[in-house]
Amino acid sequence: MSEIIIQTENLTKKYRGRAAVNNLNLQISQGDIYGFLGPNGAGKTTTIRMLLGLIQPTEGSIRIFGRELHKDKLEILRRIGSLVEYPSYYGHLSAIDNLEAIRRILGTQKSRIDEVLEIVSLSKEARRPVKGFSLGMKQRLGIAASLLGNPELLILDEPTNGLDPSGIQEIRELIKSLPGQHGITVLISSHLLGEIEQMANTVGIISEGEMVFQDTIQNLLLQSQHDMDLVVSEPESALWLARDLGFGATGTLRAGALTFPGMQDPEVALLVKRLVENGHEIYRIEQKKKSLEDIFMRVIGEGKTG
Amino acid sequence: MRTFLRILSAESLKMSKSHLWLVTIVSPLIAMFAGFLQEQMPPEGMDPWPNLVASMSFVHGMFFLPIMAGLFSAFICRYEHTGGGWKQLLVLPVSRTAVYLAKFTVVMTLLALCQLFLLICMLFVSWSLAISYPIPWSMISISIIGGWIACMPLAALQLGVSLGWASFAAPLALNVSLTIPNMLILNSDKIGPFYPWAQPLLAMLPHGQMDFGAFNIPLESLTITILGSFTLFFTAGLVYFRRKEI
Repeated sequence: MSEIIIQTENLTKKYRGRAAVNNLNLQISQGDIYGFLGPNGAGKTTTIRMLLGLIQPTEGSIRIFGRELHKDKLEILRRIGSLVEYPSYYGHLSAIDNLEAIRRILGTQKSRIDEVLEIVSLSKEARRPVKGFSLGMKQRLGIAASLLGNPELLILDEPTNGLDPSGIQEIRELIKSLPGQHGITVLISSHLLGEIEQMANTVGIISEGEMVFQDTIQNLLLQSQHDMDLVVSEPESALWLARDLGFGATGTLRAGALTFPGMQDPEVALLVKRLVENGHEIYRIEQKKKSLEDIFMRVIGEGKTG
Repeated sequence: MRTFLRILSAESLKMSKSHLWLVTIVSPLIAMFAGFLQEQMPPEGMDPWPNLVASMSFVHGMFFLPIMAGLFSAFICRYEHTGGGWKQLLVLPVSRTAVYLAKFTVVMTLLALCQLFLLICMLFVSWSLAISYPIPWSMISISIIGGWIACMPLAALQLGVSLGWASFAAPLALNVSLTIPNMLILNSDKIGPFYPWAQPLLAMLPHGQMDFGAFNIPLESLTITILGSFTLFFTAGLVYFRRKEI
């Protein structure tokens, strides 16, 4: 297990008694691209603001790089690059001057400005005032700014918000290349699973301020149970038979087809064998794969009820 | 200290491309006309300097200087308020105290620039009017520097308010509505000495120029008002900013 970069314990933020973030235990290892998922208003930005010391948690602790955030805030922030919600600029300044204003505070090398502009491919527009930039260019400049201090951890809040598909593609490729090329750990939030799926190796799903899932993306897919559909000659008596075998409790009959959620291979084999023995004719057996969006909604739904 | 200087350097870069400094010329230019248009020149044989300094300080000290203290404060927070710039600034390894001090320093520097232009205008007027009396440097520097110091409480309060309110206009409106009553308050020897917005003019007028209302207050009591209100406003602003949820 590699080094843990971010760890929160029972992180809670309450506004007037209502918990915007509730007992959140976040764990991110080095080199991860951690997708922080949740619907709008689930508490993603509130969590990120706490991680960056912009707001104080009501309860709980935050450890980043193995150090307490509230004790070593400035040392920790020095090693983090971030983009929180909409990137902001001094519109009357050029891209270079915007980065220079940040560079002066960070105290990094002047040459770093050209490097980060190159990384986000803004070198050609670097001398234009930022107020004339498109949303995608502003977003890329925001990422350039977050890379300026050679961060070990990058925290990006909805970095593809408001971008067109090609802009999203561009940012996605850029983010994917970061851990490999520079050994950076990335925390990226989004409300779109499809977007995270293509970048992240680990996901945390938050709903109404609570973490409802946190594991690798593969496990999220594995955990998703596949439905097994059977089309047989006499569905109703087949369902009774399945219930006798003990599979029927969750089985349903829909439009002439039997649907069994989350059925394992041996169970399928046993059911088919019994159906054939009892003279049923089996026309079709098909596995219905759930899309990631279905999984997402299901996980969130479970979080709400449980 | 090093982070403070770094933030200051970043702030000065932000200001350098804006044309805000042009505002600092306006009031000294108006004061210059006031200097030329004095109602009556003192009779021959009397030192015209106190009269000149007083007439040039009057509108400047009563209105423009206090208003500029608020204007500059609101302006240097505006960049951060538009589009969540506070977040971008405060996720950098900077302490909020250093940011607050740097912002305050920028406001005070702009006000110092303004006072410097006023000094230049005073010298220009005296040269144009061919005043033969020697330049009373101590009186002028007390006026210029005193006026500047008297702005510190106002700048501190306005900075605090500008940090708190995302609106650009609201802090300005507050500042103007607190500055306008100067016209009345300065006539009162009871309220005048304790009203922070009246202090810039009181500090700028050469002593003994006017002998009614609050104009004849000894410098010591002005100092107490200025120091007291500055400590209060500055501390309140700093404490507020350090705790603010961004």
